[in-house]
Amino acid sequence: MSLGPFPVNRTERCALPFWLSRVFSAFCISLGVLTACATDGPNIGRLDFPTQILPLLTKAGCNSGACHGAAVGQGGFRLSLLGYDPESDYEAITRELEGRRIDLATPARSLVLLKPTRQIEHEGGRRIKRDSEACAKIADWIASGAPYGNRSLRVERIEVQPSDVLLERTNSTFRIRVTALLSDGGQQEVSGLALYSSNDDSLAEVDNQGAVTVRRRGVTAIMVRYSGQVAAVRVAVPFQETPLDKIEFATRTLVDEWVLKELKRLRLPPSPLSNDSEFYRRIHLDLIGALPTEADVRAFLNSPRDAAARERVIDDLLASDGFIDFWTMKLADLLLIHSKRLGDAPARAYYSWLRRHVASNTPLDKLVSELLTAQGNAAEYGPANFHRLKQDPRDMADYASRALLGIRVACARCHNHPTDRWTQEDYHRFAAYFARTTVDGQTVSLNTHGEVLHPKTNQRMNAKPLGASEPSELPSDRRAHFAEWLRSNENRALGRALVNRVWKELMGRGLIEPVDDLRVTNPASNPALLEALVSDFIKGGYDLRRLVRTIAASRTYQLSSRANEVNRLDDRLFASAYAKPLSAQVLADAVSQATGIAGDYSGYPEGTRAVQLLDPAVQSYALDVFGRCEREAVCESAGQSGGGLSQALHLINGPTINGKLKQAVAKYLDANRPMPEIITSFYFATMGRSPESHETAQWETLVATSDRAEALEDLLWALLNSREFAYNH
Amino acid sequence: MKTKLKQRDCRCDGISRRDFLHLGTLSCLGVSLADMFRFQAVAGDSARRVRSPKDNSCILIWLDGGPSHLEMFDLKPDAPHEIRGDFKPISTSASGIQICEHLPRTAKVMQDVALIRSLTHELGNHDTGARYLLTGHRPTPAVNYPSLGSIVAHETGFARAMPPYLAIPNDGVGGDSGAAKAGYLPGAYAPFSVGGDPSRGDYKVRDLDAPEGVSFDRTQRRQSMLKSIDDFSRAIEEGPSTQSRDAFYEQAYRLITSPQAKAAFNLSGESAANRDRYGRSRIGTGCLLARRLVEAGARFVTVVDTGWDTHQQIFKALPDAFFPGSGKLPALDRAYSGLLTDLKERGLLETTLVVLMGEFGRTPKLNSLGGRDHWPRAGSVCFAGGGVRGGQVIGATDAYGEVPVERPVRPEDAAFTILKLLGVDPIKEYLASGNRPLKIMAEGSFISELV
Repeated sequence: MSLGPFPVNRTERCALPFWLSRVFSAFCISLGVLTACATDGPNIGRLDFPTQILPLLTKAGCNSGACHGAAVGQGGFRLSLLGYDPESDYEAITRELEGRRIDLATPARSLVLLKPTRQIEHEGGRRIKRDSEACAKIADWIASGAPYGNRSLRVERIEVQPSDVLLERTNSTFRIRVTALLSDGGQQEVSGLALYSSNDDSLAEVDNQGAVTVRRRGVTAIMVRYSGQVAAVRVAVPFQETPLDKIEFATRTLVDEWVLKELKRLRLPPSPLSNDSEFYRRIHLDLIGALPTEADVRAFLNSPRDAAARERVIDDLLASDGFIDFWTMKLADLLLIHSKRLGDAPARAYYSWLRRHVASNTPLDKLVSELLTAQGNAAEYGPANFHRLKQDPRDMADYASRALLGIRVACARCHNHPTDRWTQEDYHRFAAYFARTTVDGQTVSLNTHGEVLHPKTNQRMNAKPLGASEPSELPSDRRAHFAEWLRSNENRALGRALVNRVWKELMGRGLIEPVDDLRVTNPASNPALLEALVSDFIKGGYDLRRLVRTIAASRTYQLSSRANEVNRLDDRLFASAYAKPLSAQVLADAVSQATGIAGDYSGYPEGTRAVQLLDPAVQSYALDVFGRCEREAVCESAGQSGGGLSQALHLINGPTINGKLKQAVAKYLDANRPMPEIITSFYFATMGRSPESHETAQWETLVATSDRAEALEDLLWALLNSREFAYNH
Repeated sequence: MKTKLKQRDCRCDGISRRDFLHLGTLSCLGVSLADMFRFQAVAGDSARRVRSPKDNSCILIWLDGGPSHLEMFDLKPDAPHEIRGDFKPISTSASGIQICEHLPRTAKVMQDVALIRSLTHELGNHDTGARYLLTGHRPTPAVNYPSLGSIVAHETGFARAMPPYLAIPNDGVGGDSGAAKAGYLPGAYAPFSVGGDPSRGDYKVRDLDAPEGVSFDRTQRRQSMLKSIDDFSRAIEEGPSTQSRDAFYEQAYRLITSPQAKAAFNLSGESAANRDRYGRSRIGTGCLLARRLVEAGARFVTVVDTGWDTHQQIFKALPDAFFPGSGKLPALDRAYSGLLTDLKERGLLETTLVVLMGEFGRTPKLNSLGGRDHWPRAGSVCFAGGGVRGGQVIGATDAYGEVPVERPVRPEDAAFTILKLLGVDPIKEYLASGNRPLKIMAEGSFISELV
């Protein structure tokens, strides 16, 4: 955007000021030495702009985000990102700059050819070769009068072949074939024109003609884009050439069947089952966000220890208050419950409503539906707060789609989504669901008017769910239609997003990562497993506890986190358990539990655990540096945003640990217990296991040779700072 | 945890050999020799000096709330009183440049300051304005842009005992805007907040010293016990998460055990005279601390000073506040002039870029409460040191200070320039979340008059 009479200085970025480049190109052209293309065109009959010319420019990178596809264009020439808006691109090419971008009389003098072939100065360098078919085709198109062509012809979707590839060894290659299916029923092979990118370059490389070369073992996907449509090709190379180990284990829940199938296919030997103390600590941290007590660990280790015993533990934890507190907190993070923004009473109402539903195990689709259709006084009816987070229906659409459906549609606010199938129209039609919600202070009500307009055409947008067909008729509360659509039998979007999030909470990594970026071009690491879980979840009535149980009772969940030589390379097929850093509240609570000294949260009764806090408004430096979800926006993953250096300094020197050591050690010493017992208790309290004999011996010697209390404080400090403590493994 | 970030080759690359060649060949077409020199002065910086701009540091003094250009650096003595207000301009050490009478010490160092009077944008809220200025990008819901300090930290890495990016006292700017944080970069590149109030006599950075009663020997014993436990426990496989955790522990221990780095946080190492020169205010001690941190190896230090949102009683609030001389301007005056003088005396000004700015200017017309409201269309920014040519004014606003009439400078340009002066290539490409390729700066250009 230019401001005032003085143009913004751009010499840093452009070789030539714009006017100079024009002088220069005019100069070159007037010499009459240029022909646009070195070869004659293949003479392909009639050439349509949107389906035959624009893809050439997209392929050449002209309309990429870094070049003319940027929101402000480049060098005075603006195209729509990846050609999503053919009509405006056609305008830009044929009409702007007094039509000098094309020269109907002498196509060779068209800027649209001279620039990308770099016969005249072009900041973007040479994008199209003079002797290429593309060059000839564009020249032909100009020579034929640069017609727009059939205005109703669109690419409906694309098909890729193969779509799922298993290659035997690294450095092998295959080629992707892409077919465009057109709205007139026709087909076009577009392998040479599609855009390809690898989701993991280090595993599989793809060239611009769709030839894929795999570089290492594992799984990933290649993203294919053409004319606004997207597809993905899964690529896998087994982890070893010949199956060295027999890959087999007794399956416990449906999770294991699908995991095992994939492990066999990829010759990935799983780790053994976790031992009992590992399992016991893990299941407590995952289900109730707390460490098990020493007494409970001992009791469990002394009882019969089979699969059924583990299931009993799972069931007990699922039925506990700890589960309610912990999973309410997780959902509250997603719903951004925060008294600073919502007000005290509304935040409390929102939290209580949520906790009540988690306690009664309300089906999650019903809970979501209550959220979406809520109205009334937010201080009395909690879910109404959902609509008070954002004022603009588009912001609401961004938030709701990300939190509930795990998709990021915000890109499509300004242009068609570059890596998904959402168009700008899809986006604004989705936003229209929220256009009639009115928020007046604490009161959420429905309006009879209120629309979302398309930013380019200014047309009123009729509400329509993302990726669904036209609604036959909208109820007066548009949101009810959206909620109904979400819960309809054939709709798996909500189920998929929820299953993926819960899976991540328990397994440390989503089947799709990131968990809020679900799209066709970002396939699950084990799609069959995800779909099987989704079907089961929906069939089971969106039952949170049932889903948690299906995952936690599986052998897959209960595998050891110790990797073997082969599966050490795996980070997404769940051949071993992945260690998860403790989230902020859980870490703070674990320190309190291990030392026996509660955290101090002002305004809450003594002994309140951090996972029970209503929101992040309560001041706590420890929770801040441990990276609690601030509930400003949907947090990608709890515990991942930890304060790095500040956190390390705080754990080493800060009062959260150091302030509790003296008192904690005094309690152990008061009981007059023998030293090995105290050391054993320290290990149970922090690691949930007994120390190895050499560990006990090492610390006994240390305590014997120095100040007893100080040595024990230092031991407790070291255990609380250890990796084993800081992770759920 | 897969890292979200990798660098990409840029397609539409900017300053490069090619550009140089073109300037060479095109000089006959009207690019003046002066333009050439200016151009080379930027690109050829490293050739001329022993130090490259990559060694330059930046102290950013952030006046949170929106400093009034009309009461500081862009007075309009000829405008009617409702515009011009109460304050009078005074001459400075830079001939022809006048600033506010309440900045007399700053007036004496203006020969080292390049004053930009034509900063302009459209975002009149604290959060969005702060984000715009501190990231160089107009905020959008689609991309969470990193702050300039985080970009510099990312380009610097963590090899030194001193963290690359720090905030004094913390990174809370523009409300809860997160404008000074890491955006789409990993959280490790967020600033290390020193916390607390440096102007207090007992000021200490949190968690830097061992807890009371824990001797140096015990600190070492604890460290070796921890190592022994971590070495033994094979329960946790090595991975990006453990590696980053280990890296932070290492950095923490480097900092804790580096007397030099630790001493940098301790203001008692400064003479009373020097402390007085900066002033004992929050901003004064903040600037002094910033200088010490830069000296000890920090690359980007943001000093946040709050309270510039002067909607009421601006002619009392700025100079006097509670009692005469206790306002924002006298404190800033000492802090800013003290910092520039001190840096110069130590030979650090050449390698330390000092930027003074806030999220926007203020309404030219006084409101009914005798204050000024938010006005993003015009504001002033000061650049000094780090290779900047002082004693000049860039850009101008109209007679009422409403809009730039000369050389408008956008937040993108300011950000682009700060990065460039710190040796960061502003058009290098990063991959943001979702593998979206993004140039560090998609827009903006170097403010070439500065060098």
